[in-house]
Amino acid sequence: MTSTLSPSTETPAPRPPRRVAAPPLTFAQRLSRFDLKASPYFYISPFFLLFAVIGAFPLVYTLVVSLYDWQLLQGQGDFVGFGNFAAVLQDRFFWNSIFNTASIFLLSAIPQILVALLLAGVLDQALRAKTFWRMSILLPYVVAPVAVALIFSSIFNEQAGLANNLLGLVGIDPIEWKHDVLASHVAIATMVNWRWTGYNALILLAAMQAVPRELHESAALDGAGKFRRFTSITIPGIRPTLIFVVITATIGGLQIFAEPRLFDVSNAGGIGGSDRQFQTTVLYLWEMAFFRQDFGEAAAVAWLLFLLIVIVGLLNFAISRRIASVEGRVANRRARRRGHRSADAIAKDDLLLNSTGLGHKGGDK
Amino acid sequence: MFSRRTKTGAAVAAAASIALIATGCAGASDSGGGDGDQIELTVTTFGTFGYDDLYKEYEAANPGIKITANNIDTGGNARTDAFTKLAAGSGLSDVVAIEEGWLGSIMEVSDQFTDLTEYGIEDRKSDWVDWKYAQATDPDGRVIGYGTDIGPEGLCYNRTAFEAAGLPADREAVAELLGGADSTWEDFFTVGKQYKDATGKAWYDHSGFVWNAMVNQLPEGYYTSDGELNVDGNADLEERWGWINDAAAEGLSAAQTAWDWNGGKSFVDGTFATFVCPGWMLGVVQGQVEAGGGDVANSGWDFADVFPGGAANWGGAFLSVPTQSKHPKEAAALASWLTEPEQQVKQFEAAGTFPSTVKAEEELASSGEPNAFFNDAPVGAILAKRAEGVVAQYKGPDDSLIQENVFGPVLQKVDRGEVDADAGWAEALSLLGELVKN
Repeated sequence: MTSTLSPSTETPAPRPPRRVAAPPLTFAQRLSRFDLKASPYFYISPFFLLFAVIGAFPLVYTLVVSLYDWQLLQGQGDFVGFGNFAAVLQDRFFWNSIFNTASIFLLSAIPQILVALLLAGVLDQALRAKTFWRMSILLPYVVAPVAVALIFSSIFNEQAGLANNLLGLVGIDPIEWKHDVLASHVAIATMVNWRWTGYNALILLAAMQAVPRELHESAALDGAGKFRRFTSITIPGIRPTLIFVVITATIGGLQIFAEPRLFDVSNAGGIGGSDRQFQTTVLYLWEMAFFRQDFGEAAAVAWLLFLLIVIVGLLNFAISRRIASVEGRVANRRARRRGHRSADAIAKDDLLLNSTGLGHKGGDK
Repeated sequence: MFSRRTKTGAAVAAAASIALIATGCAGASDSGGGDGDQIELTVTTFGTFGYDDLYKEYEAANPGIKITANNIDTGGNARTDAFTKLAAGSGLSDVVAIEEGWLGSIMEVSDQFTDLTEYGIEDRKSDWVDWKYAQATDPDGRVIGYGTDIGPEGLCYNRTAFEAAGLPADREAVAELLGGADSTWEDFFTVGKQYKDATGKAWYDHSGFVWNAMVNQLPEGYYTSDGELNVDGNADLEERWGWINDAAAEGLSAAQTAWDWNGGKSFVDGTFATFVCPGWMLGVVQGQVEAGGGDVANSGWDFADVFPGGAANWGGAFLSVPTQSKHPKEAAALASWLTEPEQQVKQFEAAGTFPSTVKAEEELASSGEPNAFFNDAPVGAILAKRAEGVVAQYKGPDDSLIQENVFGPVLQKVDRGEVDADAGWAEALSLLGELVKN
């Protein structure tokens, strides 16, 4: 070690003199320095330790299981490589479950986020009894998903459910909520929306309140209407929160289980309707693991679902970034166009433009 | 001062979380351990088992034993619970109730259950009806379960609906109408057609349960006795498939959703007139009438000593002692006591589960105690007669999967008129090939 570090022993190293100049550190000082450097990691370590045990380990273990012929009760069998993945990808019921999941996800996530945005926008206005309104939209979130599923399952009962009775009042024939593919997806999406819209609205509302009011005022002075201010100030202003809401909705939406599971009481085997009309991917995974008892393939489904969620999550991230950053691009272009003006004016102007993205005419100063 | 306190706090928090992780895995193995001389036994049952008073009685007679009971709402959920804990290798109770429908899967891993011959179950062999004891015996001759109840099937019928259709409504007359001791499925469907013609209403609730009864009363069902899949090319099954399809096509099925029955209302409003009833189903019928807002004291339901196609058994359970148990000796003693004839009679009185021991059956047969809900029918005596001639049927590893996920969904389509007999049979075979790997 030493020979490689100091090839020529006669030339004095440049550093030692400086070190000598500094007084040697006491044990307490060393401890204190170590404390300063290491403590932050130590403080956050419980999360990572817990994550390693309850997050990373199951993920890796699931991958291991997915590579073996693994029966629920008999346990580990032969190594089959990616055979389980191949079997799952060739199973028509897997693709059926992906279709159902995607359909329910689109039917729930899109209206849910649009309505949540609208609700948040309304709640952001000057209202009387603000807390009351805010609390009431959160109320559905307090109800456990299983209870929601049971209540809605009764509402969408085909024989004497509330939904069909109401439709009957306006002369519409009863809908087969538990047999028709689209109707069942709408029914399940309704449960999801009922529970999550208010929650998302509150998160978006919190973000909206952090958007500086001065921007709204100056935009209003420039003649921007309410809708224009909402789309050009509010939405870009809450972009990071919007991305968060979209990503969590993606993860939750693709993992949907309790609602479709409880929507059809008769099928103990978790197939989601007599013709698997609403068997989602997690429900399919459940059937695979506990009824078909093929743990290896179930683990493969879990990993495929994980990859799907990552891909859709990234896609949604990219889309939501794009929507919001259109405004930023416009602002940049305008700033470039005004390159001839004094640096002072541009700095002042850009401050406003970059954050509002509003049409602040170049020559009005 | 402030910074030191927070640092100490953080260290404590970190240490605590690490300790939490460390004990998280160890905790399970300690549970069930007694303190000192007191031994705690855990028991997991499902549905209505009627054991609560028996536990107290056992604790009183055995001061060293404390029983912690856990009852799971349905057999299906108990299956998932037991399978998960078997797969995990821990968490099972000292005594676990196993349902006949998924006994086939359990038999595949029978080595994970204590061989009860080590605790003297052979001395009690003559207590049970032969086939019940045989069912709990694995190919190596190990016996892994004490039989609790069996499910001889009789016919629940709605008196009011029968009267409205101009059919005889007394239970003896109904039994006679359906062919008495030699009742066949043809008799059952012929009377069903008369009923349908007279009232325009359906005869039975849905085809799944009727099909289940037809399969269960065959000497061999979805599997041969030596464990081979026995569906494709099985003439007996295909013949019965034709019967059930004809009946559904004639509108005899009410196409109900099982375990929902429109929130129980279909049991009250006369949507259907008959219902296949193993002993344990009697409590379900009463529960559905209650849930559907019916008059329990005067529900119109009755129970007849007749069953189409001869004696049939549906369900029944066993008490097993997993090898995971820390106290197999005490657990086996408890399970053995719970399944003695005397206790089985008490269980029947509490929950309506029909006993699997000969002596208890004889006692119920002679007592003839009336059941108020079923128009004072002597259900114990009737079930004892329905149990005569029941034969054990081998249940293969995927029996419940074939019933629930292969034939169940196709029969729903049959009831709704979405497939005919041939298309339905073809679909069932294709589902079987996809879902069951053997």
